[in-house]
Amino acid sequence: MIQTIVQKFAGRRSSIRAAEHRFIIIALVPTIIFYAIVKFYPIFFSFFISMHEWSLFGNVSPFVGFDNYAILAKDSLFYKVMWNTMYRTFAGTFLGAFSSLIVALILNPIKRGSIPLRLIYFLPVMTSVIASATVWKWMLQTRFGLLNQLLSFIGIQPVPWLQSTTWAMPSIIVMGIWGGIGFTVIIYLAGLKGIPKDYYEAAEIDGASSIQLALKITLPLLKPVVSFVLITGVIGGFSGGFQAIYMMTGGGPLDSTRVLALHIYDYAFQRMFMGQAASMSFVLFAIVLILTLVQFRLQRVNWEL
Amino acid sequence: MANQDFVGVPSQVDARSLTRGATDFQRLRRGLLINYIVLGAGAILMIVPFIWMISTSFKPQAETVSFPPRLFPINPTISNYIDVFDRANMGQLYWNTTFISVIKTIFNIYTSALLGYIFGKFVFRGRDIIFYILLSTWIIPFEVYLIPLYLMTVQVGWADTFTALIVPEIFTIYAMFMFRQFMYTIPTELIDAARIDGAGEWYIFHRIIIPLSRAALFTLIAFYFMWNWNDFLWPLVVISSHDKYVITVGLATFVGEFWNQYGVIMAGASLAIIPILALFIAVQRFIIEGVVLTGLKG
Repeated sequence: MIQTIVQKFAGRRSSIRAAEHRFIIIALVPTIIFYAIVKFYPIFFSFFISMHEWSLFGNVSPFVGFDNYAILAKDSLFYKVMWNTMYRTFAGTFLGAFSSLIVALILNPIKRGSIPLRLIYFLPVMTSVIASATVWKWMLQTRFGLLNQLLSFIGIQPVPWLQSTTWAMPSIIVMGIWGGIGFTVIIYLAGLKGIPKDYYEAAEIDGASSIQLALKITLPLLKPVVSFVLITGVIGGFSGGFQAIYMMTGGGPLDSTRVLALHIYDYAFQRMFMGQAASMSFVLFAIVLILTLVQFRLQRVNWEL
Repeated sequence: MANQDFVGVPSQVDARSLTRGATDFQRLRRGLLINYIVLGAGAILMIVPFIWMISTSFKPQAETVSFPPRLFPINPTISNYIDVFDRANMGQLYWNTTFISVIKTIFNIYTSALLGYIFGKFVFRGRDIIFYILLSTWIIPFEVYLIPLYLMTVQVGWADTFTALIVPEIFTIYAMFMFRQFMYTIPTELIDAARIDGAGEWYIFHRIIIPLSRAALFTLIAFYFMWNWNDFLWPLVVISSHDKYVITVGLATFVGEFWNQYGVIMAGASLAIIPILALFIAVQRFIIEGVVLTGLKG
């Protein structure tokens, strides 16, 4: 009697296991095939392309080995592009992280009206960069743009924001901060929520000022979140900026806003040097990979906290 | 919960002011007043580009370049909008973008929920290895894929088709990762109980897992729809005929053609921004909570 029940139960269990296996296989096999074709094969293909003098139009694509990489190492334009990319990445990330932190710290204690305020700061995040870059380009226009018109009221001569090698990149960085601040603020607010209220109450009873509270309690406890924001910002920054720069300056003036993402697109699809562009994309890949490994190390340390 | 503020139930602040005296209460109020002023000033800076875009879009050409700048047009006109619809083929752009975004979002979310469920709730050999191999593609910048994917697309004859826009992005790693995280909040006993009752695996996934994942589902749908709607680089590279353009590429082309007709261009930008913004203000609660839900729990 007991034996038959056990047998029946075991039989049922194994049929459940078989159904589970079927389910897993049906879901996983297409996924793995997809990733193999669309995510892994292209990386090898791209490396293959970077070893050739590859043009879309020519039928002949001679093998050139590492020549494309060697050319990059001697190309002064490429160094300029790397400098621009780092300038935009580091200035944008640090200023963005700092201003978002300020906004988050003063938004955090507010209860009434905090939702509409958050929404306003979040609006640019939801907006297509192509559309907002169009608007910014109009506001930064030298003669009729809103910014220069407003500045003229306090006697400042028109600044050619996007036509000047000095001001073009800062303009693009400021627009990038405007576009990303809402997202970072919300990440900080989530981090601030995790700090227990008792800490502040205890410190207040001991007579700590609000600046002391911020410096001695909030910032140290928020450190993991800040480093998360900074590192993901830097990693994203190296491959970012394409849409804003494509719309606002096209990389100019005098290549002063030409960043890596735009340079790769330009070489591959405008100048049709696909092999050369592929080698640049591998340089980008290497940078991002190294930064990600650094992030893993840092995060492991932070988790201990 | 939020209503408490308005009905006058003594909140923390009121209670404190009663016990500690009025000066403390005033100090707190004054402190928050500064917060409101700073945030309000910041909010104005954030919103100025949108206001100026809309303002310019209703101005006749002569007024867009007049000095001093005016917020409200003297002779408001909708001719800029009519121009955009006529010349930029706006109806077609809306249709293309909506069609592609909806299809892509459905694929993205369905496949991600399924895989998140499998990696989060099943135990099988090689699970973690497969998961981490898939996850590793997350860090690869799209620029690395741009050239090989384009050449592959041309090779299979998909250049200048919607298929090329949709197929390479059916699966997505970010949503899959988020769903996997979310699965830990669903009790395994529930799934086992359903199995004992004789429910099939697909039935469990569709009727139990998906409804229970609502919170993650709505947020990710909102985000993916937005990202798909705003996508630019891949459509720019793959699509070459005007009647297949998506809205971002259409706007970029339009701006190039009508540069210095600022009113018309701002009307175009407004038309690209406003539908999606309206949609998102309608569901904003999900999004802002969702960033918290999905952004940091990882």
